[in-house]
Parts: sequence; C-alpha cells; structure tokens
Amino acid sequence: MPFESATQAIVALSASPALVDLSTLLGFPTLLDLPFREGYVSSIVYVSLYVSLVAVTLSTLFSVPIAVVLGLTDFPGKGFVKSVINTGMGFPSVVVGLVVLFAVSNQGPLGSLDLVFTREAMIMSQFVLATPPITAISLAAVSGVDRGVRDAARALGGTRLDVALVVIKEARYGIATAILAGFGRAISEVGSVLIVGGNITSADGISKTRTLTTAIQLEARQGQYETAMVLGAVLVVLVLAVNAVVVRFGDRGVQ
Amino acid sequence: MLRATGVSKSYGGETVLRELSLDVDAGEIVAVIGPSGVGKTTLLRLLSLSSEPDEGRVTLDGTDAWAVDETERLALRRRVGMVFQEASLFDASVARNVEYGLRVRRPWGDRLREGLRSVVGGNGTAEAVRESLDVVGLTDETDQHAESLSGGEAQRVSFARALAVDPDVLLLDEPTSDLDPRNTAVIEEAMDEARDRGIGVVVATHDMHQAERVADRVAVLLDGGISEVGPTERVFEEPRDSRTRRFIDGELVY
Ligand SMILES: Nc1ncnc2c1ncn2[C@@H]1O[C@H](COP(=O)(O)OP(=O)(O)OP(=O)(O)O)[C@@H](O)[C@H]1O
Ligand SMILES: [Mg+2]
Repeated sequence: MPFESATQAIVALSASPALVDLSTLLGFPTLLDLPFREGYVSSIVYVSLYVSLVAVTLSTLFSVPIAVVLGLTDFPGKGFVKSVINTGMGFPSVVVGLVVLFAVSNQGPLGSLDLVFTREAMIMSQFVLATPPITAISLAAVSGVDRGVRDAARALGGTRLDVALVVIKEARYGIATAILAGFGRAISEVGSVLIVGGNITSADGISKTRTLTTAIQLEARQGQYETAMVLGAVLVVLVLAVNAVVVRFGDRGVQ
Repeated sequence: MLRATGVSKSYGGETVLRELSLDVDAGEIVAVIGPSGVGKTTLLRLLSLSSEPDEGRVTLDGTDAWAVDETERLALRRRVGMVFQEASLFDASVARNVEYGLRVRRPWGDRLREGLRSVVGGNGTAEAVRESLDVVGLTDETDQHAESLSGGEAQRVSFARALAVDPDVLLLDEPTSDLDPRNTAVIEEAMDEARDRGIGVVVATHDMHQAERVADRVAVLLDGGISEVGPTERVFEEPRDSRTRRFIDGELVY
C-alpha cells in the first residue's frame, strides 16, 4: 500500500499537536475507561483517517486544477460542465458505492485488481464523493477572485501559470473551505463505505475496513450505546481537529 | 519605441477604435485624452500587448507583437508595464506586491527556493522594491498588508509595482481618477521620475488639466480615432481640428 506511510505521517501530524492528543486518549484505556479491547478504537480511527485523508488529498489535487481552469477559461458547454458538477454534489452516495463495488468486482473492469472490501476501494468511492463538492466550492471561490487582480498579474509579466497561482492564492480561504467540505463528506460517509469496504475487522478485533461511521452503526445496532457514543465523540473531535488545522493553514498565507 | 499602426478594435460588431495610430518614445509622456467610453482603456490594452487588434499592428522597437510566438510576445509584454484605474493589489504585503513582477521573471528553481526560505524566515526586501516604493513615498509601508492601505496609497503601490521591473514603457489608465489632490500629485511626480529614467509613459485621462501638467504630447481620442496629436501646449493653445477645439473648450459634450 503506497500511501500507508504518508498517511501515517498525516495522521500523526493532524492528531498530535492539535486539539487532542489522540495517542493518549486512545492508547491508554486506564485514562478514560473505555469499554472495548485495546487497539480496536485506534485501528478504526486510523482506517477512517487513512481512507478519508488519502481520498481528499487525491481529490484536491484533481479538483482544484480543474476548478482553476474552469474559472479562468470560457468555452462552449461550460455551463453544462458546471451543472454536472453541481449535480454530483447531491448524488446519492450509496449509488456511488454500488458502482465502485461493481467496478472492482469480478465482473467489473477493475476486477483483476482484487479490490473488493479493501481500503483502496473505499478510497475510490470517497474520491468520487469528495470531488464534486471540492470542485464546485473551489470553482465558486476562483470565480470570485477580482478580475483586476488577474489582469494585474498578467500585466506584470505573469505567465498563464503565474496567473493561475495568483488566483489560487487569492481564493485560498474558499479552497480551504472546499477541502473541508470534501473531508466532511468523506469522513461522515456511511452507506458507500459499508458497501465497498464491508465493515471488516480481523480475528483479533483490529479494523481492516471498519471506519468510525460503520462501527457506530454496528455498535448502535447491537445496543452498545456507550461504545457508539465514544466513537461518535471521537468522530466529532476528529472533524473539529482537521477543521482547526485547515483554518490555521489558511491563515498562515495572509501576511 | 512602442507604436500602434492603423489598429482597429471592435466588440461584438461595435467598432471602438478605427485605424488608429499612436506611438510613444523613450523618455516622453504622452497623454491620451477623451470622453468616457471612447476607448481609452481599449487602446491601452492594445498597447500593453494583452489584447490583439482586429486590424493593424502594435510594434515594440519594430517587432510586431502579434507576428511572433507566445514566448516572444511574453518577452515583449514584460517590457511594457501597466497601471489600472483600480489598484487591484494582491492579498499580500506591500513588499510582496511590488516584488511580484521581479518574482515572475526569475527561474522556477530560484522561486521555489525563495518560497521555502520565506516560510522559514523571510527574505528581506529587494533594492528595486525599496527604490520603487521610494518614488511614491511609501518606504515606511513596506511590511503593511495591502488591505490596510487607503485608496490613494494602494494606487501608489500599484504604480510602484509596475515601476519595479524597470519597464521600457509604462501605461497608466486614469491612474488618479479616484484620488485626492495630494495622492494625485504624488502619482504625477512619479510619472516625471519615470520619464527621467527614460521610460516612455502613456497616460489615459479625462482630466485635461492633468494632461496639461504632465504631458509632453497629447493625443485626443474622439469617435474611435485620434482627432489630433501634438505637443501639449500647441494642442491646447491652437488646436487644428474643429472637434478637438470644441472638446477642449468643453463644448463637445458626451
Ligand atoms: N470587453 C469588452 N466587451 C465588450 N465591449 C467592451 C469591452 N471593453 C470595452 N467595451 C466597449 O468599448 C467602448 C470603449 O470602452 P473603454 O473602456 O475603452 O472606454 P474608456 O475610454 O476607457 O472609458 P472610461 O473613460 O469610462 O474608462 C465602450 O463602449 C465599452 O462598452
Ligand atoms: Mg477606461
């Protein structure tokens, strides 16, 4: 798994210096008397973050350039492209999950890759889900950049790439919001990750494809409300922590 | 040096400029005066090599900007600076704004290295940046954020930003139309300074007094063409064209 180590770094980065020290919270059940096996929750958190962060990172690298190109050029059919993206924002996620599951299944075009019930399949469906909101919100932000600023960048000798970079910089708060929205959609997603990931743990109770959302769903159904609540709290804290990191990152560019 | 020859430009069937010719030499200030909506901005966009004329040629030292490839045109374009009516500063410090033109002219390797260094600890201000800000009297505002400036200060930064790359030609599109007398005076002095540096300046304005104050030559733009062009004093004292005379006397009302 090529992203494994990079994500571990991202996970460590987003978790450790920010609002909560997750390793303390999760690694030492004595501190907070958690009603489950050691490693269970931390592996779920890890899978959730791994899948969502990789998917959102890939989607950002894909969506932001598209938004910038769409925002800076005029071509016939642009309105249609925009409405497709906007439609994508409301696209039912279970259907996305279903399509991805089919794509990686034996009968699907990616069947030979053997990705059914894997994190990679989950990343694929999360990518599909996160891309429309990230593209649409970034596009709105890019379109909002003052035309005069673009003209100035060009008049000062900027190439087309320079102008695009200026636009990204001017739109950075909007783009940060877009990434957050995409991350929010990915990490809170239940249906599609359940379909493509299968909510699997290994025999020793370590998550393979179980995320916070699918774990909460399972625990709640089994009447394990306490566990479900703790997992829910962890999910909320995670979302807040990532928010805080992104907002601070956006602030840094100002001076 | 910079010369438009027989240029025409229309927007959606509406002809704005018709077979118009104008040139500017090193070290002179040419004022383009004309009523609002006559096409002054359109003309400056053509001269700045950012908009292609429908007909005619725009040449810099004899090179037709639209007969060469894009790389060469970029090189030509980089010798022509432009200040817009609105300051349109970047959301960054005054120094970063003024530095922008210099930055985009550096190779990518250097730019990345500078970017990294500025994350670690700041780069210091380039000499050209300080010098340009000095021309508009804003050396104390170097580290301020662009957003905290007054409208007049922002326009002065915009001028310094265009001056910092030491262009051969500087195009100013109504640079003082939103400014108070003091800021206007600063910009006009800066135009003088640019001329003293050997820069050819074209300033579009509807302020005839400004044209009289700063310009060596005046071109009067009326109805899609230049009705008269000549030494400032001559054009204002004894205009040869009857429409020019009526425009200058304020009789030609638009
Ligand atoms: N991009 C454009 N698309 C369509 N029409 C345009 C465009 N730019 C300018 N025009 C038209 O061309 C004419 C001249 O506009 P221009 O901005 O050059 O005038 P101006 O002399 O600069 O006016 P002002 O003094 O008000 O700035 C106007 O009628 C304007 O509506
Ligand atoms: Mg204008």
